[in-house]
Amino acid sequence: MASVTINNVRKSYGELEVLHGVSIDIADGEFVVLVGPSGCGKSTLLRMLAGLEDISGGEIAIGDRVVNGLQPKERDIAMVFQSYALYPHMTVEKNMGFSLKLARAPKEETRDRVAKVAAMLNLSDYLDRYPRQLSGGQRQRVAMGRAMVRNPEVFLFDEPLSNLDAKLRVQMRSEIKQNHHRLKTTTVYVTHDQIEAMTMADKIVVMHGGIVEQVGSPLDLYDNPANLFVAGFIGSPAMNVIGGKIRGGGFVGEDGTRIALPFAATDFEERNVTLGIRPEHLLLDAKGHAAEIITVEPTGAETQVLLRLAGHEIVGVFRDRILHKPGETLHVSLIPERIQLFDGKSGQRIDFREAA
Amino acid sequence: MNKLPTLKRPGLPGWLILSGSVLLVLVCLFPFWWMVLSSVKTLRELYTVPPIWWPAAPTWENYRTVLFDSNIPRYFLNSIIISVGSTGLALVLAIFASYGFARFNFKGKPLLQSFVLVGQLLPTAAIIVPLFVTLRVLNLVNTYWGLILVYMIITLPLSVWMLTSYFKNIPVELEEAAIIDGASRLECLFRITLPLSLPGLASVMVYAFVTTWNEFIFALCFATDSSVKTLPIGLAEFSTEFNTDWGAVMAASVVMTLPIAILFLSMQRLFVGGLTAGATKG
Repeated sequence: MASVTINNVRKSYGELEVLHGVSIDIADGEFVVLVGPSGCGKSTLLRMLAGLEDISGGEIAIGDRVVNGLQPKERDIAMVFQSYALYPHMTVEKNMGFSLKLARAPKEETRDRVAKVAAMLNLSDYLDRYPRQLSGGQRQRVAMGRAMVRNPEVFLFDEPLSNLDAKLRVQMRSEIKQNHHRLKTTTVYVTHDQIEAMTMADKIVVMHGGIVEQVGSPLDLYDNPANLFVAGFIGSPAMNVIGGKIRGGGFVGEDGTRIALPFAATDFEERNVTLGIRPEHLLLDAKGHAAEIITVEPTGAETQVLLRLAGHEIVGVFRDRILHKPGETLHVSLIPERIQLFDGKSGQRIDFREAA
Repeated sequence: MNKLPTLKRPGLPGWLILSGSVLLVLVCLFPFWWMVLSSVKTLRELYTVPPIWWPAAPTWENYRTVLFDSNIPRYFLNSIIISVGSTGLALVLAIFASYGFARFNFKGKPLLQSFVLVGQLLPTAAIIVPLFVTLRVLNLVNTYWGLILVYMIITLPLSVWMLTSYFKNIPVELEEAAIIDGASRLECLFRITLPLSLPGLASVMVYAFVTTWNEFIFALCFATDSSVKTLPIGLAEFSTEFNTDWGAVMAASVVMTLPIAILFLSMQRLFVGGLTAGATKG
């Protein structure tokens, strides 16, 4: 096990720079998820960590070893690919033991270690099968087993679950989490799925356009997003945003709707801001704002309602059953303490509680 | 009983496709049939008009002539040595060249790749004299190595192209996974890529072998001594100024066709792809 230090790392393909100086500290044994939309550079960063891509600038260290110039096999990492990348001409046992065979480990030791990992992953009955004879979830497990057999310092996962169906994904998610619990190996996990990030990570790194937008624990990111991008990316349905101004210590929407803030934000008078509120922080309130219902989507446990409020379409999630029809009016209020304000121009969060 | 409603099969009716296929196969196989048939006919039967479809007394006499009273066995050995040698050499070189073209990016790659094919564009007549001069300078006329090298030059370009496209179709993640597992580039090539490329290797092998096995013009020019002559030349030798021993020609043709037929049949299983099934999703 080892810590991983990524220090001001850059990646360019010719003139095009895709990573603009990324710094992340990963503690020993931590489960870190790199999350972001496609093209944000998260997979590139992981491949640089693995040694499959050159590092154009900056430094990557595993433990106290700078690995910039090292070959993948000298880095003591193991990687699970999105496509599994199982060797089709080898049995499960050979697939899992391949790295040990390359390292010229004794045959008995290889067999023991493969057997142990296979037992851990419920693969013992499949050791003689070929990858084509396995289901998607089993292939995924073999890919993980191949990584685990080596007992590496760091596990790298590149969107390992995106090829599985929804149900299996949830199951594998918890299996990966359990394995991490058991092995306590430092793990870097790349995904574009924020639910995976939220449920699995000790620490989430949100990336966007080749930079790190925010690093923090899942709930920290959810409750205190650093900017509008993180606010919109983490959480499903996404945080609602309403553009407007601060006037008279409160928020005024573009259409003149006044929304009360928990503090009198007098310092920010006339500043353009964006108000953010999570869907579950809207309350049914007869004295609240009148909002037009656009759609009602009951999911059973809760109801999602798309509303038009202050000229914006916003989503509310309510535990109550809403029996209204589209076109009717629903009265809602926003929990003042849960309101976030973001700068209208930069999109950075304004910590108005402290400022006030 | 009611007949279940069925969808009409689109396209041509079945009997037409069947009879068409049978006709096509018959047309393709007729020369071979005639070859085998003629090889067991007596000389008199060979020249009978109208032709005899089934010889009254099949004879092995032609085969006896070919195997014991001619140079054919020696030529057969020469052909084997030269074809196997040049095929093997072409395969080894093509594997490394194609792997480079398929997996690495380097300056001038498109140019080099098209340049490989230039040799293929030149007509035989245009290169035969320069090749002869070169071989003479190198003292390779009338040697196995001379023909092996010449045939390698002929088969290499297309082999490189065939293998390059085959290698490109093998998911690159497999090699990345192997590299992470601690494999060197060569280990990637030999333990991952090549085993998965068997169908591609088989096609290249068959192509190179058949091309060299059947080649006539170069063999005629560069191998004038009977110690290195190949089978096609041997066939031609049955035609002399005054007559042609058609029975022996046919028997020798059968002997010459057999290795190719065996090669095809043994490789047949490999041509059916699907070796990478299960490697990656989709």
